[in-house]
Amino acid sequence: MSSVARKIESPTGWLRPGPIVSRQPSKLLPALFRRADVNQRLTVLEIGPALHETVEFFSQFRCRLHFVDLFQESFVREQQTSLSEKDLRQAFKEQLRFQAGTQIDICLLWDFLCYLDDRALRAFNAALRPWLHPGTKTHGFGVHHLAIRLENIQYGIIDKETLSIRKRRSEQLPCFPHSQIEMHEMMNCFAFERGLLLPEGKLEMLLKQRD
Amino acid sequence: MAMFDKHKSSKQTATAADEPRVSTPAPPAQSAAATASQSKVAMIGQGISITGDVKAESSLKIEGRVEGRSVQCTGELEVAEAGHVKANIIGKVVRISGDVSGDIGGSDKVVITKSGRVQGNIIAPRVQLDDGALFRGSIDMNPAQSAKADKAAAVNQPVAKPAASGYDSKSAVAQKTGESSSAKTDSARKEPSLNLKSG
Repeated sequence: MSSVARKIESPTGWLRPGPIVSRQPSKLLPALFRRADVNQRLTVLEIGPALHETVEFFSQFRCRLHFVDLFQESFVREQQTSLSEKDLRQAFKEQLRFQAGTQIDICLLWDFLCYLDDRALRAFNAALRPWLHPGTKTHGFGVHHLAIRLENIQYGIIDKETLSIRKRRSEQLPCFPHSQIEMHEMMNCFAFERGLLLPEGKLEMLLKQRD
Repeated sequence: MAMFDKHKSSKQTATAADEPRVSTPAPPAQSAAATASQSKVAMIGQGISITGDVKAESSLKIEGRVEGRSVQCTGELEVAEAGHVKANIIGKVVRISGDVSGDIGGSDKVVITKSGRVQGNIIAPRVQLDDGALFRGSIDMNPAQSAKADKAAAVNQPVAKPAASGYDSKSAVAQKTGESSSAKTDSARKEPSLNLKSG
């Protein structure tokens, strides 16, 4: 076991998801599936937990879904207190370790980037980059202004235009909202493709792989 | 001494499972009607702990603990809510209501129920994650493979052997663990292997 793995504690409590509390329409989600051929295998990276509706939705595709639920990882919660950027990069690499040759077609980040400080964002970017390809599409949520209060929620996919919202049962992670400029600098594996302003200062984003 | 019951009725109670199950197989003198009315499910009851590989030529229900390289059955394989398995699982329809740490291959379908908790990779034409289920790992699905199997079953025709693209769930999961799925190789391995036969 590596020294980083020893330092990282196992997730404290694996909590069952709460019920769906609401649905949220999405105008950007359909773009992820525009070129999806039902006969071609889709490789999907889901940064959040495995949810019933998300698995149900993808069951119409020939696909490989990777559920990593980084929101539950203690090293994400403790990023500021005990881990260096190098340690964080190693920790993310351990969680984003896939079969050789894996190329992610769709990346579902939800609001995960808002919970990473600058070092963690750079570390996550470095760990994710090797698995992307020019056609990778990524969906996520950011903020339009830095003073907003993020809700402690988790997202799933009900259909191509509708997301599910559940209250997250674990304590909310410390928040580190970033401006678009900061995001562009630190998450340099992605380029901004489209954005949509949402109520309460949130920003829905469609990202593509940066050349 | 037979360690495993045949599942004689659907009324297996929790109290009966407190002690390890020890029973002899059904006597051959049973009438055909009685035999036909009994579901052929091998059971690993609560209180039973197995270290090694398990192979069942029937359906299998696990309420105890199994730790080994693989648990295989030709029919339906269920890990009940009280069951704990630390091994790869291969079956036709695999239903998980307990704890599993290992890869799962279902040639027809894999279901993780609301009390299920799985860490590992799943390969099956269809995968169902009930609301409340816990899962971490990867899921490989192919609805076309499932539709082909359904159609073949409907017209009672043999299904062509799937290509080695990962949907031959048995060999795909076996390949990951470095073991062969053949019975001969199983018996040659040093780890203890339990073969459960129905009937």
